[in-house]
Amino acid sequence: MTFVRLDRAEEEASDGSVAPPDRPRGRLRRRPLGGPRWVGWAFVLPGLIGLAVFIVIPQVASLILGFSDSTLLGGTQFTGTHNYIRLLHDPQFLNSILVTAIFVLVYVPANIAISMAMAMWLKTRIAGRNWLRVIFLIPALSPMVANAAVFRLLFQKDGAVNQALATIGLGPIPWLSDGNWALAVVIGVSLWQSFGYNMIVLGAGLDSISPDVIAASRIDGAGRFRRLVSITLPLVSPALFFTTVLTVIGAWQTFAQAYVITGGGPGNSTMTIMLYLYQTAFTNNQLGYASAIATVLFLIIAIFTLFQLWGQRKWVHYD
Amino acid sequence: MTNHQLPASGSHWRRRGRTVGFAANTTVAWLFALLFSFPLIWTFFTALKPANEVFGAQISFIGSKVLWSNFVDAWTEVGFGRLLLNSLVVAAISTVLTLVVATLTAFAFARLRFPGRSAVFLLFVITLTLPSEVAVVPLFLGFDQAGLADTWFALIIPGLFGAFGAFLLRQFMLQIPGELEEAARLDGASTWRLLISVIVPLVRPALSVLAIFAFLGSWNSFLWPLIILNSSDKWTIPIGIAGFTTQTGTQWELLMAACVMTIAPVVIVVAFAQRQLVAAIGAGAFGGR
Repeated sequence: MTFVRLDRAEEEASDGSVAPPDRPRGRLRRRPLGGPRWVGWAFVLPGLIGLAVFIVIPQVASLILGFSDSTLLGGTQFTGTHNYIRLLHDPQFLNSILVTAIFVLVYVPANIAISMAMAMWLKTRIAGRNWLRVIFLIPALSPMVANAAVFRLLFQKDGAVNQALATIGLGPIPWLSDGNWALAVVIGVSLWQSFGYNMIVLGAGLDSISPDVIAASRIDGAGRFRRLVSITLPLVSPALFFTTVLTVIGAWQTFAQAYVITGGGPGNSTMTIMLYLYQTAFTNNQLGYASAIATVLFLIIAIFTLFQLWGQRKWVHYD
Repeated sequence: MTNHQLPASGSHWRRRGRTVGFAANTTVAWLFALLFSFPLIWTFFTALKPANEVFGAQISFIGSKVLWSNFVDAWTEVGFGRLLLNSLVVAAISTVLTLVVATLTAFAFARLRFPGRSAVFLLFVITLTLPSEVAVVPLFLGFDQAGLADTWFALIIPGLFGAFGAFLLRQFMLQIPGELEEAARLDGASTWRLLISVIVPLVRPALSVLAIFAFLGSWNSFLWPLIILNSSDKWTIPIGIAGFTTQTGTQWELLMAACVMTIAPVVIVVAFAQRQLVAAIGAGAFGGR
């Protein structure tokens, strides 16, 4: 397990343990063997420029554009905080925050719980365990658009799910024409698609726990539940933290599922922030206003991430 | 957590109990996997049905006829052939370029000392937590102003610079013993030569895993292609599928045939490279995509 500790990146970077292994400091090292010291820059430059131009600068530009009335036709004017005041009074935007927040609050805990439970289950004695892992991983590595199209078919009014419910005398449920059910379907496809990935990460975390520790806790008389809470969870906490942080970041940016299955409907009930941002920018051609939405989303994600970085000292155990 | 069993007592009954438990556990797990796979199984069978039998009063996997011709129709009528070709070309170019950029960056971080290395590395780490999709508007605007909107260049370039690939390769390069590097240097190898002839061959397993992830990343990518591509002759598969589903009167059997042909390559790749993929994901190298 080699997690980059996000809050210790600087220490790690300046720490000798990740630097090139110390070379012998004899006469041979008087002139560096690798040529002049700037050679390293030549190798890092393509990646660094790309990172700056296509990842860092757009983030900064998005902040700036948020204060403008930019459209595709040009003629950008800076309008101060006008966009942000408008956002405060935009019921569609406020609704999209609510929808996405509900998505995050249901999807993230469910995802982590299912991933963890599945990872632990796949540690038990099961024939063909490796193939099970592959089966659960496949949707996570398949295009979300294709997965979403499949779920859109399954949850049609007379689709397979309602057909199956009918055989046991239930339904039909208006999956995609009722707002609450539609959001449930979007959350469902997201869980189905992505828990396999976190399951693998957490499984690797479980693998790194020494069997001796488990054996010792058994000898000390710890029961199943006690072992889970006092031994397994603390030891797997770095992996749990890592998956939670990245799952939260991804969940706030949910887009494709809602776009394909419901298009945000019915009645904006599945209109996520990213979907509203997309429509504002590329359907309504309000690039400046969309950038203000992006800034708010960025801040939400930043707050959630920083909060987790701050909170990790309470429950994440390294070493 | 029953894999850390105490040593078997040798009791006949206990062993028998364990065998029953093992069989029950295996059965339940595979039944669950079957249920989990139901959407994909259903997709496959729907792709073979006549159009008017996709929906029915009762659930049934096989229609009155098995129409393999749906796959041909999806290929021609929906234009899946063109989408597939586009996706393959775009993914191949993206993969090669991602490998080149990540290799150079990882090499600098893992094996070279240069002033400012810690600061640059920190920048790379921070970008891991940046919500990249949030910044699509200025990215689009930039390419549009440069007259590059609706080009494969604009489609491919922004995806090449994620820090994950560099981190994965760096991790592997750090494990190469310094003696190998010393020997090559003493034989007069230049830094470039060292990378090509010593480092790259030694990290080939990591390169192939990164290649798979880069390929799948491009294959699955949706938001950016949706924004930057306008003309349908440049579309990739996800754009075609999404456009198809939003039309009225969806031809579900053809759409599902297209989905089968989209997901099948992923299934094949994952099945063949499962060990390496599981190891790489477990190493936390790629984060939650």
